[in-house]
Amino acid sequence: MTLLILQAIASGVVTGCVYALIALSLVIVYKSTDVINFAGGEIVMIGGYAGMLALLYLGLPYILIFAFAAIATFALGALFDRIVLHKVLGRAVPGQSILVAMVIATVGLSYVLKGGVRVVPYTEEVRRLPPFFTGEPIFIGPVVVQRQDIAIIVVAVVVMAALWAFFSLTLTGKALRATSQNPRAAALVGIPVRRMRMTVWGIASALAAIAGVLLAPKLLMTPDMGVIVILAFAAAIIGGFASLPGCIIGGILLGVIQNIVGLYVGSNAISVAPFAVIMLILALRPQGLLGGRVAAKKV
Amino acid sequence: MLRLKTLRGALLGAAAMLAAFGPARAADPGVTDGEILIGLFAPMSGQLAAFGFDPLQAAKMWYEEVNKKGGIHGRKIKVIVEDDKCTPTEAVTVVKKLATVDKVFLVNGGSCTAAAVAAQEFVTREKIPFVMLNAAGDGGVFPPTRYVFGAFGGTQRTVGATIMEFAIKELKGKKIAFIAHDDDFGNSNWSTAKAVAARMGAEVVAVERIPPRINDVTAPLLKVRAANPDVIISTAYPAPAVLIAQKYAEFGMTKTPLVQAVQGIPIPAVFAKNVGNDAALVNFYYGSPLNDLTDGPKQQKWIQLYKQYYPDRTPGAFMTYGLPSAMAITRALEKVGKDLTREKFVDAMEATEFDSGVLAGLTAFAKDRRDGYRSSIFIRFDGKTHTLMPGAYSWNGKDGM
Repeated sequence: MTLLILQAIASGVVTGCVYALIALSLVIVYKSTDVINFAGGEIVMIGGYAGMLALLYLGLPYILIFAFAAIATFALGALFDRIVLHKVLGRAVPGQSILVAMVIATVGLSYVLKGGVRVVPYTEEVRRLPPFFTGEPIFIGPVVVQRQDIAIIVVAVVVMAALWAFFSLTLTGKALRATSQNPRAAALVGIPVRRMRMTVWGIASALAAIAGVLLAPKLLMTPDMGVIVILAFAAAIIGGFASLPGCIIGGILLGVIQNIVGLYVGSNAISVAPFAVIMLILALRPQGLLGGRVAAKKV
Repeated sequence: MLRLKTLRGALLGAAAMLAAFGPARAADPGVTDGEILIGLFAPMSGQLAAFGFDPLQAAKMWYEEVNKKGGIHGRKIKVIVEDDKCTPTEAVTVVKKLATVDKVFLVNGGSCTAAAVAAQEFVTREKIPFVMLNAAGDGGVFPPTRYVFGAFGGTQRTVGATIMEFAIKELKGKKIAFIAHDDDFGNSNWSTAKAVAARMGAEVVAVERIPPRINDVTAPLLKVRAANPDVIISTAYPAPAVLIAQKYAEFGMTKTPLVQAVQGIPIPAVFAKNVGNDAALVNFYYGSPLNDLTDGPKQQKWIQLYKQYYPDRTPGAFMTYGLPSAMAITRALEKVGKDLTREKFVDAMEATEFDSGVLAGLTAFAKDRRDGYRSSIFIRFDGKTHTLMPGAYSWNGKDGM
């Protein structure tokens, strides 16, 4: 029985790392713009297909496939902010919230992306990117782990560390944090808020695309694979929607919980588990595990 | 006076002649002296077009073949094609349009169960014969209703029953693990599989009902491994089927045969590529309703005909699935004769039984039977080579009902 649990945990951590990356992309946008990005899942899907096209048409190695997908979706996210959200924001009436319109715009983007990708002939069938690493699985004690799964964890951890370094150590990262905390004050000290918002959408989209390329060899690609964003929302809520470390922990916990529930409650409860956990968290600790108290209100 | 009597006699005689040999009475819409109008629909665009495009083209081809031979009792078949995109709302709209705007005699369509079943209420209310194209259609044919005919490639009940029988008879399974989805398809699969296992004395040691959008099959496969079965059956859809095969190999279970139902392996070569691990397919089988491999000698006749009609298109794996429904329709139309009505057509469909030359068994309907087909064959597949397993397996229509 211990072996079953260990195996379920190991597999859950791998899936959870991908949930965490997608959750990070949602939380970054939310923290900086107050917008919940309902197109996050479709950007994951676009990332996966961008990776596939890079492999089929350009024959790129994996490291460049990640870069290609990230750059393509960075441009997509930044342009979406510049062309759509900026216009929506510009029509705001003083005293009325424009957030609903912005969120609806993200829903619109999700449909555009899903519909658009269906005209690509390669999307007619379920497809999969080849694994990053092949070969015999690795045994950690009695637990079997695929080389591919280790690569997923490594890439996810590297991306998370790079994100932390960017926000903590670079001037642009600090400017982004300042913009997210108080855009008006940031503008007063000369930070180009509009460009910062574009950058945030670009980074978030690139993160989602990296998650898409990580998922593509594991979970298979279809134009509907964006529904995975629901699990990323769950991860973000578990960890705390305003907390970057929280959503990493939330993602990993969610992956493990799904497998443990599948093992002890039943396989058909796997899809219900995230929502049961969300309700539990919202009832007991609405701010999430690492959400903390809101110390200051935005102005 | 004599002339008047002669004239009256002549008129009566002419009237009698007209009644006996004159043009047929076309009581129902879509039938004229020279034409029978059939509404044909399937997913022609979108992600699920692969399930419907070629079957619809094949049905059209069959109608053209019949027309070439003179039609049916002097009437040519004319089709109106619509795209339902495999969605229930589109399917209902399409069927209503075909019936009320185009005024077709009957509707022949549907490649996806949910979409085909959604049209059932309307056709039943309007008393329009509805012959599904290649949808499994369990919800539309159980319980049987007068105007709906379907399951030309077999229902999911047939899939469940035949795959279990194959596992027990051919693979000598005594302890079976069964993986199915927790939806209507899975319910149908499991209902008959369970009954067949009970009847044949096999023990089902693990039943895993998984969500169709499952991301990680670790938990169900761990439980299957712990149950130590001697055959594993999966009736999962394509994406989860690939995950199951991958995890089955990862957990070192390949000494135990894995049998996958047809819905999870629409194109075997793509399936093998997606699994990406030769070890997963060393002991792998899949089911099919056809009488041969999709490109086998018995299917070649249809493939070559299709290429004559559509030289620019390579037929997909589901192409021939569209033929039996069109064949059943033309047989029933033939049987009715010149005086064609919808009610007579339905009566004729109920008495239809034939070998399509496409499927492994007979296509048949009866007064209390609306699922047209109940057999499967099984194929061993190692990623490259397909080997037909001996015999065909049939559901008796009773197990699990």
